[in-house]
Amino acid sequence: MEAPPVSVLPITGGTINMMEYLLQGSVLDQALESLLHRLRGLCDNMEPETFADHELVYLLKGQQGNPFLLRARRSLSHPTVPWHLRYLGQPEVGDKSRHALVRNCVDVAASHSLPDFLNEMGFRMDHEFVAKGHIFRRGVLKVVVSKLSRILVPGNTENTEPLSLSYLVELSVLAPAGQDTMSEDMRSFAEQLKPLVHLEKIDPKRHM
Amino acid sequence: MSGSGPAVRVSIESSCEKQVQEVSLDGMETYVPPLSMSQNLAKLAQRIDFGQGSDSDEEGAETEPRDSQEWGKQEPEEDEATVKFQPSLWPWDSVRNNLRSSLTEMCVLYDVLSVVKEKKYMALDPVSQDPSAGKTPQVFQLISKKKSLATAAQLLLKGADKLSKSVAENQENRRQRDFNSELLRLRSQWKLRKVGDKILGDLSYRSAGSLFPHAGTFEVIKNTDIDLDKKLPEDYCPLNVQIPSDLEGSAYIKVSIQKQAPDIGDLGTVSLFRRQPKAKAGTQPWHVKLEAAQNVLLCKEIFAQLSREAVQIKSQIPHIVVKNQIISQPFPGLQLSISLCHSTGEKKNQRASPEKPKPDDHLYVLEHNLHQLMREFHKQTLSSIVMPHPASAPFGHKRQRMAGPMAYDKAEISNLQQNEGLLEKIIKQAKHIFLRSRTARTIDSLASRIEDPQIQAHWSNINDVYESSVKVLITSQGYEQICKSIQLQLNIGVEQIRVVHRDGRVITLSHQEQELQDFLLSQMSQHQVHAVQQLAKVMGWHVLSFSNHVGLGSVESIGNASAITVASSNGEYAISVRNGPESGCKVLVQFPRSQSKELPKSDVIQDGKWNHLRGPYKEVHWSKMEGRNFVYKMELLMAALTPCP
Repeated sequence: MEAPPVSVLPITGGTINMMEYLLQGSVLDQALESLLHRLRGLCDNMEPETFADHELVYLLKGQQGNPFLLRARRSLSHPTVPWHLRYLGQPEVGDKSRHALVRNCVDVAASHSLPDFLNEMGFRMDHEFVAKGHIFRRGVLKVVVSKLSRILVPGNTENTEPLSLSYLVELSVLAPAGQDTMSEDMRSFAEQLKPLVHLEKIDPKRHM
Repeated sequence: MSGSGPAVRVSIESSCEKQVQEVSLDGMETYVPPLSMSQNLAKLAQRIDFGQGSDSDEEGAETEPRDSQEWGKQEPEEDEATVKFQPSLWPWDSVRNNLRSSLTEMCVLYDVLSVVKEKKYMALDPVSQDPSAGKTPQVFQLISKKKSLATAAQLLLKGADKLSKSVAENQENRRQRDFNSELLRLRSQWKLRKVGDKILGDLSYRSAGSLFPHAGTFEVIKNTDIDLDKKLPEDYCPLNVQIPSDLEGSAYIKVSIQKQAPDIGDLGTVSLFRRQPKAKAGTQPWHVKLEAAQNVLLCKEIFAQLSREAVQIKSQIPHIVVKNQIISQPFPGLQLSISLCHSTGEKKNQRASPEKPKPDDHLYVLEHNLHQLMREFHKQTLSSIVMPHPASAPFGHKRQRMAGPMAYDKAEISNLQQNEGLLEKIIKQAKHIFLRSRTARTIDSLASRIEDPQIQAHWSNINDVYESSVKVLITSQGYEQICKSIQLQLNIGVEQIRVVHRDGRVITLSHQEQELQDFLLSQMSQHQVHAVQQLAKVMGWHVLSFSNHVGLGSVESIGNASAITVASSNGEYAISVRNGPESGCKVLVQFPRSQSKELPKSDVIQDGKWNHLRGPYKEVHWSKMEGRNFVYKMELLMAALTPCP
């Protein structure tokens, strides 16, 4: 019996084709308190939310040059919450006047057997790190202030050492493809944080 | 001094006579109590005339008479003050001083007179009058006075000038500082930020969780159109706010339930408007303005959400959205209208509304609930269950994130999502309110129409937005303790009324008014028969038969008739009662054979004892019976038929 013909069409709707707008910056450890105060005032009125995450980066080396990269992240403070798998595409080379970094983004929630699954699929873990910090939100804007730490013994998240003496500040928005109004809002928000932290578009390719 | 006669002793004594205050009827005199030392001193001190000081010191100082007078006035004040602090003086001190001064005067006068008379050591010589020397001193005095006055005036003018300049500066400073202090006060209550050289603020609910796309920015401007020379007006404020033009005025959401309008083409803007509420005395005008604008924004958001849901949600009877009104039908024949009433308040020549606004048209509770529901919705978007863990995940409810890994199916996912929108909730609440008020009206109309038996309704204080309850008791006046078998608990829901009977039956009534009324009427008729049963127990009568729903006799249109037969304690009499909600009550009494005259004599029954059995029935003219209600009448009847011991 033949399988009934199934037309394969790319999935275009829903949350598959989301673009991530990103602005990044950093602050030294001493300036963290004032930055948190500022963010507390500018962002939505909620209780301050802290997080502790463990991220693993998986690579699939194909025959071509560019390896395929997937990021798997789990929460250390909420162990029962599902894992988060993320694919980030290449940054869109649009007009230079766009203020934020735009790239394709696919987010999937996964169960706790994700590392084994990825290993079975052929991915190999490239590196892992622990991120701890604060998360803020303002409407659809998300501000993440995190301290990245290196894991000394693979698999052991207790034994970590900070990578640098500063905190990474990321301002991001997830929006469906085609909506370009976000970058203006992001830029005006970044203006308000100006003297404390400079958030700008950082092209990852240039630093590789 | 040499006196020619013998020394005269002068003895001074005060008249110790006390003043008589009052002479009583029996001759007793009451004296005014004499003054104490301090009181006396005070009285004497009051008599001192400080205006006239001793003249010998002041004859020389004529160049500044005015100043000295002023200072002289100041000094006695100080003296007076110091006098109070001195210990109490010997009361005759002033007298002694006066005597001494008069003695001095007398001595001087005597000396002068002796000089004039004896011419031994001194002689009086007239002094030549120089007319020219008299004049120049006066002119000189005038000029010197003028000069001194001019210097004094100049000093005063200089001082006044400085003072007025500093006052003007102060006012200017105060206005400047006032703007800043007003700005500080504004900032303590509203969100402000500086953009370039403009001060902008945010009056939207965005930071509280709203997703309405309106920006809601207002601008703070300095109020500089004020004239410094003119007096400042009462309500002057150095700070002014400029709100977006579409948020001007004030708005409210009006929810009302009416009978269905027969003509649907008559829909349009709902008539406005009530007068603007007066601001409290202490609030600033900018605060009033900003609050009104924020309220307008919230009303717009609520109405936008409601109209969006009205268009999107499919319901059996579609909701109509016309201009600023949403109309839906909760019950057949009834119309619920939700409208956004926004008036800018500027135009004074608004057309008067065609119909007078009915005061009880508003359902204020629902309007308040709309506001509350909107704010709850805002709060939900801000709750921490939306925050992602791990941090790179997108925002969203944490349970929705489990949908993938836990492999939820469509039913479970739709369970997660909120399926009741704002409009549905409000319609449900409106339905409940309407049902509740109609139930209350039904019960009240029955209670006022029917006196026997009585209906009592006890409404519970604690209700839900979708459920209320009332306990209905049917009793007879005077016999509440005996006849309490009909107690109903009504639970009024959104569309139905659930009745729980005391005997355990549960009946569900629909929203129709007639159903409830018929049910209560049938319960009332059953109550009468139950009351006879209870009364029989008390009176010692035996219940021979009892039926809640008799199958004999004419069919009632509402419910069923009930009947009971009771016999007296010695068995001689029996009473039969049949009561129906429509047919009323019928009471028959059965007499013993010995008392009835219609029975034919027969040969079969020979023994006299058979005459004690009960025989034929006779109907009682119940309406002519004495007694204020059914149970009372029944009690009298039973009492009349009970033989005396």
